Amino acid sequence: MSQIEIRDVSIEYKKPKSEETFVAIQGINLAIEKGSFVTIVGASGCGKSTLLLALAGLIRRARGSIRVEGRDVTGPGPDRAMVFQDASLLPWRSVHGNVRFGLELQRWSRDDLNERAARFVRMVGLGGFADYHPHQLSGGMRQRVNIARALAVDPQVLLMDEPFGALDAQTREVMGDELLRIWERDKKTAIFVTHSIDEAIFLGDRVVVMGRNPGHIRDVVEIDLPRPRAAAMLDSAAFIAYRRKLREYIAGDMQSLQMIKDVA
Amino acid sequence: MTRLFAKHQALISGFVSFAVLLLIWQLAVDLGYIKAFFVSSPSRAATEFWRQLQSGEVRDNMTVSLYEFAVGLSLAVAVGGLLGVLAGWSRTIEYILEPFIWFKYSSPTIAFYPIFIAWLGLGEPTIIAIAFIFALTPIYANTLSGIKNVDQDLVRAAKSFGARPHDLFLKVALPGSVPILIAGLRLAVGRALTGVIAAELFGATAGLGYSIAYYGQKLKTNEMMVSLVLVVILGVVFTQLLSLLEAATDSWRPNADR
Ligand SMILES: Nc1ncnc2c1ncn2[C@@H]1O[C@H](COP(=O)(O)OP(=O)(O)OP(=O)(O)O)[C@@H](O)[C@H]1O
Ligand SMILES: [Mg+2]
Repeated sequence: MSQIEIRDVSIEYKKPKSEETFVAIQGINLAIEKGSFVTIVGASGCGKSTLLLALAGLIRRARGSIRVEGRDVTGPGPDRAMVFQDASLLPWRSVHGNVRFGLELQRWSRDDLNERAARFVRMVGLGGFADYHPHQLSGGMRQRVNIARALAVDPQVLLMDEPFGALDAQTREVMGDELLRIWERDKKTAIFVTHSIDEAIFLGDRVVVMGRNPGHIRDVVEIDLPRPRAAAMLDSAAFIAYRRKLREYIAGDMQSLQMIKDVA
Repeated sequence: MTRLFAKHQALISGFVSFAVLLLIWQLAVDLGYIKAFFVSSPSRAATEFWRQLQSGEVRDNMTVSLYEFAVGLSLAVAVGGLLGVLAGWSRTIEYILEPFIWFKYSSPTIAFYPIFIAWLGLGEPTIIAIAFIFALTPIYANTLSGIKNVDQDLVRAAKSFGARPHDLFLKVALPGSVPILIAGLRLAVGRALTGVIAAELFGATAGLGYSIAYYGQKLKTNEMMVSLVLVVILGVVFTQLLSLLEAATDSWRPNADR
C-alpha cells in the first residue's frame, strides 16, 4: 500500500451567481510512495491547486477517496503541511513568530516552541533575520519562512503550491537546490506544483501532467535521473528528452484550448 | 540644533503657532481691541485657573466628568466590541443589528436626551448613557469591519495547521484588526467626551460641562474659560495617548519605519 492513495477523486465548485456546479477535477487516481518527490505540471486552471487543497483537507470532494497512511482525509491534519503560493505569512509576526505559528496551532509544548522555531529559521538560512517582519523581507526570503513554517510541524507529507512562482529564475534555482538539500536529509514525501517544466524534472522522481476540461491526469512521467541532482544535469541528453516530451504534452493541452476559442 | 528641530518639527511648529495665538489674544485684549468681557484673556483665565485649582473646583469638576467619561466609554467598548464580534461572526446577527445602526448613523442622538432624562433622571446616569450611546457606533462598526475583513488567505493557512475557531479569532482576526480597532477607539474617545460635555451643559450639578454652562449663564467669561480650556486639553491628551498606542502596536506595518 502506498502512503498516499487518491482514488477516483472529483471536485466541484459552485459557479458564482448560479446554482450550477463546475467540475474542477474529475476521476483523479494517483498513488504516492513514502519519501518520494512528486511534481505536478499542467496548464493554468487545470486543477492543480484544487488537488493540493483536497490533499490538505481544505475542500470537500464530490466523489472518491483520499487516504494518507491508510486514514481517510476528512480535514487538515498534523500529518500534512501546506506551503501556499502566496506566502500567507502573518504580517504582524516576526519571522520567528511566523514559524512558531504552526507549532502553536498544533499545540506543541511550550518548551519546544521557541527552540524548534529558531532551529527551522536557521535551517532555511534566515538565522540573522529572525526578528524581521514579512514586509522587511524579499519574496524569496518570505517563501523560505513559508517553507520553514511547514517543515517545523514535522509533517509526513509536504504540499507545495508553486512556492517559487513569484521568484526570478536565478532565485528559483537556488531555492530548488536548497529544497532538495533539506528534503534529502529526512525524505519527507513532497508534492510540488509548478509551472516550470525544468523545475518539475529537476526536483521530481515523477512528474504528473494534468490536462483540463475538466481537470484530469494525462500522464505520469518517471524521471530517471540520479540523485543528488545537480545544475549540470539540465544540459544532459536525458534531461532534454524529458523536457521535449513534457512540452509536447502541455502544448497538446494548449491546442485544445485554442480550439475552444475558435469555436466560440 | 537643526537636527533637533527636524526631529520634533511638528511639535515645535505646533507649539509656536499656539503661543503666537495666545500672544495675539492677550495683546488684542490688553490694547483694547476686544473687550475681555467677551473673550476673557490668557492672563485672566490663568489667574482664575489658579483660584479654581486652590478652591478644589478644578479637581471636583474633572473627577466628575472623567468618571462619567470612563464609565460611558468602557460600556461602549464592552457592548460595541461584543456586538461587533458577534455580528462579524454571524450574518444573521449583523442583519438584525443593521436597522439600529442606520438609525443611529442618520439621526442626531442628542435629540433623545429628554427621553433619557425621563428614564434615568437628571444627572449622572443620563450623562453616562449619552456618552455610551455617542461612543457605541464607531466601536461597533470598526470591530465588525475588522472581523469581517480578515485576510481569507491567512485564515486558510491557519486552518491548514489545524486552527480551531478560537485560534482563528485570537491569533488571526483579532491581531489583524488592531489598527482598525484603535481607529474606532480614537473616534469613540472623542465622541464620549463630546457626549459627557454636551449632556452636562443641559442637566448636571457638577462637571466641566456644568461649570461652562453655569458660568456662561452668569456671563462670567474668565471662570467659564477655565473649564473650556480643560475640555480642550483633555481631548488633545486622549488623542495623543491613542496615537502612542497606535505607534506601539503597528510597528509591523510597511509605513511604520519612516
Ligand atoms: N473557489 C472556487 N470557486 C469556483 N471555482 C473555482 C474555485 N477555485 C478554483 N476554481 C476553478 O477551478 C478550476 C481549477 O482551479 P485551480 O486553482 O485548481 O487551477 P490551477 O491548476 O491551480 O491553476 P493555476 O496554475 O493558474 O494556479 C479553475 O477553472 C477555477 O476557475
Ligand atoms: Mg494554482
